[in-house]
Amino acid sequence: MALDLPTIIRNFDLRKCMQCGKCSASCPAGFESNLRTRMIIYMAKSGMDVLDLNELWSCTTCYTCQERCPKGVKVTDAIIFLRNLAARRGNFPRIHLTAIKAIYDTSNGFPLTPEISKIRSLLGLQKEPADVAHNEEALSKFRRLMESIEIINITREAQK
Amino acid sequence: MRYSLFPGCIAKNLYPSIEKATSIVFKELGIELVEDPYTCCPAPGVIRSYDFDSWLVIAARNIATAEAKGTPLLTICNGCYGTLGAADRFLKAHPEYIERVNRFLATVDMRYLGATRVVHFVDLIKESLPQLKDAVRVELDLKVAIHYGCHYLKPSAHGGENPERPEILERIVECLGCESVDFPEKLSCCGAGGGVWSGNEDLSLAILHRKLNFIKEAGAECIIDICPFCHLQLDQGQKRLKTRFEIPVLHLNQLIGLSFGVKDKILGLHTHMVSTRNIAKKAKKARKDLFEENEEKEI
Repeated sequence: MALDLPTIIRNFDLRKCMQCGKCSASCPAGFESNLRTRMIIYMAKSGMDVLDLNELWSCTTCYTCQERCPKGVKVTDAIIFLRNLAARRGNFPRIHLTAIKAIYDTSNGFPLTPEISKIRSLLGLQKEPADVAHNEEALSKFRRLMESIEIINITREAQK
Repeated sequence: MRYSLFPGCIAKNLYPSIEKATSIVFKELGIELVEDPYTCCPAPGVIRSYDFDSWLVIAARNIATAEAKGTPLLTICNGCYGTLGAADRFLKAHPEYIERVNRFLATVDMRYLGATRVVHFVDLIKESLPQLKDAVRVELDLKVAIHYGCHYLKPSAHGGENPERPEILERIVECLGCESVDFPEKLSCCGAGGGVWSGNEDLSLAILHRKLNFIKEAGAECIIDICPFCHLQLDQGQKRLKTRFEIPVLHLNQLIGLSFGVKDKILGLHTHMVSTRNIAKKAKKARKDLFEENEEKEI
């Protein structure tokens, strides 16, 4: 269940923001892109629509802004939940669907390739790790779990 | 003490050298690591950004796996620690969510109880510093640039090091006879997190480029990380940049392995993208000195 905007404003203390700009000044992505954390928080707390801003997806979730906020605004957590709302609107980088599909198919975001399997053997490790990906029963159970959660609906909707 | 090793997708499936170094280091420290059937943590940047509850359910599934065996969960990746640590903290602070998560887990006969803990391997090494000191056999004398990465330090709600002035990696590196070089923005992000690595490659590489400039200027011989995702970005990312930095990248467990006198090939240093030849050479020379010294002692 995604939180609605008023709940995000309340839960993450966005109203406490006094626009000092420490978040933007601390932002490693902001140095290199047009991500302005202060603006996103201002817009969100004022009830303006930020969900179509691509900059929302430029945040590396490093939490520096949140750590340094003098008013204790939970900036990074708020951005993550704003993304949850943006995703429901279908606004997100489509390339991420590949990662979600990989997790559904193999249980891993980065699946094992034959090349790495060879390197594992050369290093004296098991050719295939003892994980869910290489255990048929566990993998089908995991897929069942994935089928029951919301993320599948969001990604299916996006692929329509 | 037994720990259930949560290697994470990248250490298993892209940099098995990190998994190998981890098994060597913890065996030497007398800590038993067991393998359990895990899935992706799931990645904090992608899955959590789409649907918090889905992220929570998958993370709870992984925590429940360790719980069922009665072992703490040991992560060697900041991303996995970020996810599993935060999910565990969230569930312990919001018991009403436990029931909700367990309704999903019941469909696969699992249950989250909140009876175990998630540990970052650096914190475990911190507890084992005396044993680590005893096990060091080779003084590497390397100038290293420490990269903490984000999610070991932040959010600081999980306790541990001061995110603005951490010390533990400097202490470990000194223990190994290496020098930690200082550089601007030492604690800043590598540029990979939050889905930016896959979703916005130009931005991700621009952040990396900025950081590598500082590291190069500081005269570091290598970069030490504590996260396979940062490792992937620092190592493979260097190959995608136009500037040829050629700074070797080592996961902390690989540096510790070298200090224990383990050969670079056994630790898989040759499987990295950026050549680690100079580091390997230096380690070999240090091992040789040690060997000769021992021989002399015997005479």
